[in-house]
Amino acid sequence: MSVIRHFVKKEFRQVFRDKQMLRMLLIVPIVQLIVLGNAINLDVKHVRLAIFDHDHSEVSRDLLSRFRSSDYFDIILADQSKLSALMDRGKIDISVVIPEGFARDLGSGSTAKAQLIVDAQNSNLAGIATGYVNGVFGSFQEDFRNRMLEKNPDIKSKIHSVEVVSRVFYNPEMNTYFATIPGIAVLLLTIITTLINALNIVREKEIGTLEQLMVTPISKFQFVMGKSLPFAILGYIELAIALAVGMLWFKIPFAGSFLLLAFSAALFLMTTLGAGLLVSTVAQTQQQALFTAWFFLVFCIIMSGFLTPIENMPTALQYLTYLDPLRYMIKVTRGIFLKGSTFFDLKYELAAMAIYGTAMFALAIFRFRKSTT
Amino acid sequence: MNAVIEDSNIVVETHDLTRKFGKFVAVDKLNIAVKRGEIFGFLGANGAGKTTAIRMLCGLLEPTSGTGTVAGFDIVKQAERIKSRIGYMSQKFSLYNDLKVEENLEFYGGVYGLDSRALKQHIHETLERMNLQHVRTKMTAELPLGWKQKLALGAALMHNPDIIFLDEATGGVDPVARRDFWDMIHDLAAHGKTIFVTTHYMDEAEYCHKISIMHQSRVLIQGKVGDLKVQTGMKTVEELFKHVVTQGDSA
Amino acid sequence: MRLRAIILKEFLHIFRDSRTLFLVLLMPVFMIFLYGWAVNLDAKNIQIAVADLDQSPASRYFIDKFAQSKYFQVTQYVTQPDEFEDLFRRYEVRAGITVPADFGKSIGNEFATSVQLIVDGYDGNTAQTVLNYARAIVAQYNTELLPQGFEAPIEVIPRFLYNPSLESGNFIVPGLAAVILMMISALLTSVSIVREKETGTLEQILVTPVHVIETIVGKVIPYVFLAFMDGMLTIGIGVLVFDVQFEGAAWVLLTNTLVYLYSALALGLLISTLASTQQAAMATALMLTLLPSIMLSGFMFPIAGMPLILQVITRLIPATYFLEIIRGVLLKGTGYAELYHNTLILFGIGTLFLLLAIRKFKVRLG
Repeated sequence: MSVIRHFVKKEFRQVFRDKQMLRMLLIVPIVQLIVLGNAINLDVKHVRLAIFDHDHSEVSRDLLSRFRSSDYFDIILADQSKLSALMDRGKIDISVVIPEGFARDLGSGSTAKAQLIVDAQNSNLAGIATGYVNGVFGSFQEDFRNRMLEKNPDIKSKIHSVEVVSRVFYNPEMNTYFATIPGIAVLLLTIITTLINALNIVREKEIGTLEQLMVTPISKFQFVMGKSLPFAILGYIELAIALAVGMLWFKIPFAGSFLLLAFSAALFLMTTLGAGLLVSTVAQTQQQALFTAWFFLVFCIIMSGFLTPIENMPTALQYLTYLDPLRYMIKVTRGIFLKGSTFFDLKYELAAMAIYGTAMFALAIFRFRKSTT
Repeated sequence: MNAVIEDSNIVVETHDLTRKFGKFVAVDKLNIAVKRGEIFGFLGANGAGKTTAIRMLCGLLEPTSGTGTVAGFDIVKQAERIKSRIGYMSQKFSLYNDLKVEENLEFYGGVYGLDSRALKQHIHETLERMNLQHVRTKMTAELPLGWKQKLALGAALMHNPDIIFLDEATGGVDPVARRDFWDMIHDLAAHGKTIFVTTHYMDEAEYCHKISIMHQSRVLIQGKVGDLKVQTGMKTVEELFKHVVTQGDSA
Repeated sequence: MRLRAIILKEFLHIFRDSRTLFLVLLMPVFMIFLYGWAVNLDAKNIQIAVADLDQSPASRYFIDKFAQSKYFQVTQYVTQPDEFEDLFRRYEVRAGITVPADFGKSIGNEFATSVQLIVDGYDGNTAQTVLNYARAIVAQYNTELLPQGFEAPIEVIPRFLYNPSLESGNFIVPGLAAVILMMISALLTSVSIVREKETGTLEQILVTPVHVIETIVGKVIPYVFLAFMDGMLTIGIGVLVFDVQFEGAAWVLLTNTLVYLYSALALGLLISTLASTQQAAMATALMLTLLPSIMLSGFMFPIAGMPLILQVITRLIPATYFLEIIRGVLLKGTGYAELYHNTLILFGIGTLFLLLAIRKFKVRLG
């Protein structure tokens, strides 16, 4: 234990003396959280919409005013002959063309047609924006029908109509950052602890101090613990910073138990620190360590469900996500943070992380060699 | 082997110790025996195999074949037990530049498992012995190279080892500092420590009790410095070295 | 001649370290396959739970509308709506629908029946999608029940420009090329120069009569080559494996790629003058190139949704301009007529970085 204590002391002395490094570890995460929390915004608002009304009827003007009063659209006034060029230059997201005869068709029982031209480069955005446009048409249609039905009360009393009353839990405004901030916090934790552990050991390899340590009688376990514990503590500091930024700056309510989060972080850190150690056993230079760790990190980030919900992935890849420790930790962190999930709610995720962490750490200790063959 | 075990004074001995890297033989059938209190010098040009030999003795590198013991422990099977009995200092200055002088000593002492009282005392003694009290709280990076070497030696001695391995420890140090350094080594030997050095400075070899001249992975000649000079009729180790190596090349 | 010597030396460095070379070439391949397959922003098969308090043929018919939609998958039936929250906390479903007990009986009533939709809002984007889809399904249901003559049908015919198949890949892959080019070139140059600084070999080169410009150009050219290969590899795999559209002219893309590389390498050089250790260079390069290129360039997250101050920052990032170029060429088939100002700005940013780097370099020498 005393050997490990000396390691912790030494690493902290080195980290706290390196002002550049300290800035990287403490200030940069705050900036990143704030910038990324604002940047990663999938809320679709301010869709730039151009409307071309060829019908000039009361009906079409009603539609137009509905689009104008919607919060989702910024109406762009444009000349239809320049539409194609404007869309090419990315100035317009969607245009709605109401053809001549729209009102006539609507009243007569034949289908009234409207045309939609969508910039679909980002298919997700295009889908959501198209949904908004359809929503406006839908509510317009409903009011139109109701007006027709008002005139026929006997029919009105026979039909069935359903309305949706919706409630959104945990995040009533459906802000993207509610999910991204806890996600970024876990991401930062992963990147910092994996990289710092790998680079730190490889650096000692490069400058020769590792060899000096290898001629001492410390055990592999002591070495691995001595190297990991300081960075685990740093990891907790990062997590605390991230929580503080999320709660104080972004005002995201913390619904769950801090203790459970701290416990989950311990399981998770075993995985990332173990990964860092493993990288250090194969890399000879810091550059190699960075590149090797990078593969692990990119895999973890993409497969974690941070950028894209896991259920959107092809089935085969969904199975692959079970190999990603981040998958569990992001779920756990979001769950505890936003939903107040309990130990029992998250038992499978926690069990997976415990197994993963223990295996990774054990593998790192096993792979680590005090002598070369 | 038997003869060696009977002589309890032998602290380092090897038997046909060999190390290959792929096809290249770095150390070829090394046989040495070093007694307690001796200063044993490995002489040879760069790449002669000295460092490889020392790394095998310290348990940093596994031998390809052959056997060896250090402080009575087998270098393959009991490498970890050897490590608490030896001190090691390599050609590369390997203390932490971003720690203070006393912090380096504290860390290494701590790694060797000294308790806090022993640690305090040993730091004090080491600083005194190495004449480093006045730079105790200085950053190691700011020390001149000669002082850094002394500090590294001090760190290697923190746990009071029986055998000290010095691999090209005086490389790049000025002559005065080297002189100082060797005075300390002699002092250690006088107190019963066994010192194992590798060097390519011939004048340093004069300070050794016993030398072994390595050339192209093999030991060409070894024995007491005085005996070898008489045997070959050479006046200095430098002449001796040249003589032996030229003979070895022509053979 | 001297320039050739430096270029040759740098190439030797790169090819000797076969591991790094391997990693550098494998990186884009790895990234594109992972992104291409895994990143799909189009929600489908969203798992939902249902509490059918009515258990009538009418309620079952209504629920069936959800179950049959390609957007939803009913995976849980519960007896009480309060059970939804438990399911949310365990991430088992994204939403819960409660059909009230009088659902069947209310047919023929004058007033609308309320069906409650409870959405797990932790992922705001998906929650929004769930709401949109659910409303559309209910609207469809309502229309079906209308008597003849009251449907007032409206057909909105959408035409999806630039990505008619609505594949995420068409959006992600070109962006990925921009990210990879930036990452490889800026990271590699800065780290390799700082390594020479650390080991002292840079001093060695600088005391020879080689001009500073020659040193820089010589160091950079091999990385232009490597990064260019990586970029082509990304686009090639994108087009061949992921069926990414290629509407425009190849030469427009190639020339613009070179200009983009110029700006990326200049940024790498600038970083190398700022950092004194490899660790610092890596950290700075990641902070200044990779993160902004991924997060702030419009690669995945629309710039229009960002706060104004961030929108201004996106205009300082080379990847933002190159993304518009590469998406324009690949998806829209645009050429220099529409894109020339992006090319000019990229060139300008590159030159600015380069001048700053040279200045820093000279200061250090003087």
